[in-house]
Amino acid sequence: MISFQDPTPYANPETPDKLGQLTMLASTFSDVDALFYFVMATCVFFFVLITVILGYSVIRYRRRTEEQPAASNTTHHTMLEVVWTVIPLIIVMVIFAWGWKGMNDMSVAPRGARQYKAVAKQWNWTFFYPNDPGNSVNELWVEVGKPAAFTLESTDVLHSFYIPSMRVKRDVVPGRLNTLWFEPTQLGTYHMFCTEYCGKDHSVMYAKVHVVTKSEYEKRPWDQEDPNPIVNGQRIYSQLCKACHTIDGNKLVGPTFKDLWGSSHVVQLANGSQETIKVDEAYVLESIRNPNLKKQPEYMSQAMTQFDAAVLPDRRVNFLIEYMQTLSAAGGEKK
Amino acid sequence: MTTHAPIQTTAHNAPQGERKNYLNCTTGFWSWASTLDHKRIGVMYLVGTSLAFLAGGLFALLIRLHLWKPEGALFDNATYNQVFTLHGVFMVFMFIIPAIPGSLGNIVLPLMLGTKDVALPRLNLLSFYLWLGGTLMALYAILAGGFDTGWTFYTPYSLYTDKAVVAIGLAVFVLGFSSIFTGLNFIVTTHKLRAKGLTWFRMPLFVWAIYATSLLQVLATPVLGITVALVALERWYGVGIFDPRMGGDPVLFQHFFWFYSHPAVYIMILPAMGVISEMLTVHSRKPLFGYKMIAFSSLAIAVISFLVWGHHMFTSGQSTYAMFAFSFLTFFVAIPTAIKEFSWVATVWKGSIALNAPLLYALAFLIIFAIGGLTGVILGALSVDIHLHDTYFVVAHFHYVMMGSTALAFFAGLHHWWPKIFGKMYSEFAAKIACAIIFVGFNLTFIPQFVMGSRGMPRRYAQYVPEFEVFHQWSTIGAIVLGSGLALMVVYLVQSLFAGKPAMKNQWGGVTLDWETPTPPPLENFDHPPVVTREVYDYSTVDFKAMRTPANTN
Amino acid sequence: MSDHAHHSVVIPAPGPGFQDHVVAHHFDTADQEFDACKLGFWLFLATEILLFGGLFAAYFYFHQMYPETFVACGRTLSWKLGALNTTVLLLSSWTMAMGVRSAQTSQKGKLLVYCALTVLGAAIFMVVKFFEYSAKIDHGFLPGRFFTDPAGELAHLEYPNMFFSIYFTMTGIHGLHVLIGAALIIWIMFGAKKGRFHAGYYLPVDLVGLYWHLVDLIWIFLFPLLYLVP
Repeated sequence: MISFQDPTPYANPETPDKLGQLTMLASTFSDVDALFYFVMATCVFFFVLITVILGYSVIRYRRRTEEQPAASNTTHHTMLEVVWTVIPLIIVMVIFAWGWKGMNDMSVAPRGARQYKAVAKQWNWTFFYPNDPGNSVNELWVEVGKPAAFTLESTDVLHSFYIPSMRVKRDVVPGRLNTLWFEPTQLGTYHMFCTEYCGKDHSVMYAKVHVVTKSEYEKRPWDQEDPNPIVNGQRIYSQLCKACHTIDGNKLVGPTFKDLWGSSHVVQLANGSQETIKVDEAYVLESIRNPNLKKQPEYMSQAMTQFDAAVLPDRRVNFLIEYMQTLSAAGGEKK
Repeated sequence: MTTHAPIQTTAHNAPQGERKNYLNCTTGFWSWASTLDHKRIGVMYLVGTSLAFLAGGLFALLIRLHLWKPEGALFDNATYNQVFTLHGVFMVFMFIIPAIPGSLGNIVLPLMLGTKDVALPRLNLLSFYLWLGGTLMALYAILAGGFDTGWTFYTPYSLYTDKAVVAIGLAVFVLGFSSIFTGLNFIVTTHKLRAKGLTWFRMPLFVWAIYATSLLQVLATPVLGITVALVALERWYGVGIFDPRMGGDPVLFQHFFWFYSHPAVYIMILPAMGVISEMLTVHSRKPLFGYKMIAFSSLAIAVISFLVWGHHMFTSGQSTYAMFAFSFLTFFVAIPTAIKEFSWVATVWKGSIALNAPLLYALAFLIIFAIGGLTGVILGALSVDIHLHDTYFVVAHFHYVMMGSTALAFFAGLHHWWPKIFGKMYSEFAAKIACAIIFVGFNLTFIPQFVMGSRGMPRRYAQYVPEFEVFHQWSTIGAIVLGSGLALMVVYLVQSLFAGKPAMKNQWGGVTLDWETPTPPPLENFDHPPVVTREVYDYSTVDFKAMRTPANTN
Repeated sequence: MSDHAHHSVVIPAPGPGFQDHVVAHHFDTADQEFDACKLGFWLFLATEILLFGGLFAAYFYFHQMYPETFVACGRTLSWKLGALNTTVLLLSSWTMAMGVRSAQTSQKGKLLVYCALTVLGAAIFMVVKFFEYSAKIDHGFLPGRFFTDPAGELAHLEYPNMFFSIYFTMTGIHGLHVLIGAALIIWIMFGAKKGRFHAGYYLPVDLVGLYWHLVDLIWIFLFPLLYLVP
């Protein structure tokens, strides 16, 4: 289970948390909040009006004797009916126009917005940076005050890119390229959720959005590698493999990594024939690039997601291999 | 056969002793299983849909208990995904859509129209068996591996997941036809089988509501039928129209699905609104304010409901023109709805208000539906919807209109027509307590969901960030309270069947034709076909004596 | 199961060889029964149109997405066989209408003949369909995941499988309705032999006729869309 660290502050620390408040706003889309509070206020007004009238009626006009007739048999009041049709109509048209305008402003990224790419797959996010060879998994760094535009890709099913504090959301549709943009205004770390149901680990397809200063951003914080390859390998395991492979010997969606490295297995090929393989560098790399080619028979019904070289370059596969080697008591071949 | 005699109010010429009614005129399992009597069919629907409601409610309780802890308290993620799917599928397809039309509609509509039965009784029985068949198919689907797609079956996940999606898809197809044939039957009955003198504008508003619902059932449900059929075919031979790997478009599925499912939510709420109209007029002993406007609003809602389906898809990457159109039209549907709500309040104002159980449930509806409808307005605003879509805010909104409104209206109607259907009365005291508990429990369950939804808590999550823990826990407590209120309701209602006081001939002083039959009604409802000579909801003619006289006396 | 003593409305047989018709007891008059059933059936036909409407919508959407594919694949269909089927169905609609007329004029023998001819039309339609499908199967032009195209005739196109998926699904579901319609007409023939249908009561023949006309109408839309537009 992924642990959610560094929770987003849900209120401005300087002001107390009020129940009706939206999550803290960290982008330029304050119009959303303004419209939300306006509609809320209108709703509260009508709700109170209705409740008060009903409450009063029920007490004042209560039937006290069985034969008590209604206090009035009025069934029409043209003026009243016109008023309660026209006024709501005007109000909703205002709400519509305001919402439409806000939507329009949110649709078109400003010229010069930085172009990022977010690739969603079951069940993690990979972010690609403008004019940069690096990528990061489940963590996104953006610079404060700079509009960031995203192209959204999915390699499998529907997902949705949602950063509550930025007030943005767009579905990630396989076969399509949706886009969105936002301009972060406050430093900090914010939640990002997948918010279109996508299967088993939909609820833990979580990413952290770091809004950093210009100097921080220029250090390319997304491409930090630990000097120890095994630490990098373990990180990769946590981000990309953990959902389906355990390290404690239990079977999950796929085989456990415990004692996997260096072991020999019978695998089944696509044409049904079987062969014996050893779990070595070549097999691990093949399982990542072309996962469903050679699998142990008991895992034939489960499809493994594929990771191409853009998402998981060869050198990172090697980190993972080094980590896997530490999980095998037999040791296997060390590089 | 037609006469100009006044309406028969009591069984003046019935024999001494207990009069035979539709419940006891024949006995034995087969007499029920092969019945063509709309009242018996309605009772069977009542039992069936209530069991579906209890099953759906059980799944809901499991969800809320699981969500007590941020890391999930009961299940692993995959199992949770099946539980919330089951909750949605059972509630939507096996309870909410069929419940009011199938039970109250079947029993009361022909009575209100002054006729012997619906136009096509054998089709009516078939509709029930399709409901039952679809439900059994759904149970089979659970045993055959279950399904974890959400009740919305979005592609391509529903095409790839290795679960019994074909089985449940076909179950939904069958259930859809149950709904279609019910609607078809009611349309024909309303057009062709009205009593003499019962013009369209003398019909009770419940009939108008069922009629509008029936139009939606007949015209919208086939689209659901073809959609689930296509998903089943996709999984079988890979039709490909929804699968991006075959050149298809997942968003096309959403368009197909919501083209039905948006009108479907009006299939759910329109009968409820019809029930509420009846509750308010009878228990305030006052004609409905703005009768014609309420009637036309029902039709307007039915028509407009076909034009707004895209508001479920604002974040899917629609064109700005589509967003403009769908948001604009969505606000239009708010207006007839507002007209109804205000008209109902104006009906209660200056009435003679008896705080009976049906009216208490109706008042609860008015308050809860106000919240549900108003939060719909919030969601219709494009820029705000971007933030709130697929969060718990939406979950809370639709529970306010589906559970808080439709289910509550169903309970109101059940309490109102219970004496007519069964000839027994339940404990008023227990009913009032249950209503209060349900009202409190319901709000406690769902108000925290509005708050956390606006703060970003996504839907369909088996685990969540710890900030939302307090809201989830209050919601779970509310669910337990709500469940207790519902359990109490079931207990005293069932108890009334065995040990309840006899109902009165006209328990509440209603003046529509359904209160002119004996209680419970005989097989063919009326001894002589009624002729209607007065306008609807004319309370100057309430028979107070019938209100005080037990039904099984002469 | 009823314990009432209402008289039932009966429409008497017009002569020997025919049966009386007892109006269902919940109806007051025979006209009410006729009107109610007719309205109900029209509503049912509306649902069928909406069901097919979804398929037509899918066709239009993908034609617009992959226009070259749809034009090229459409050309692989034999418009001549399609036209033959269209003619056959149109003729069978005429024979069915004549059948309804025969029922309305209490002509039992003619009713049986026209029904038989209509069923024959349905059978010819299905046989032609069989030949068409076989031809497609030979080329490997199968729906969905069974699409192979071993000769690579359509390999230059984007997603040719999509056209054939839609083609087979639409014509397949339509073919299913042809079979259902034929079965209903055969049922009418059994009833006709017993003399159930005559000038006083021809409702079932009328309704089955309507169903058959719908089946024909759907094909009238399918044929140009799939065969002629390319």
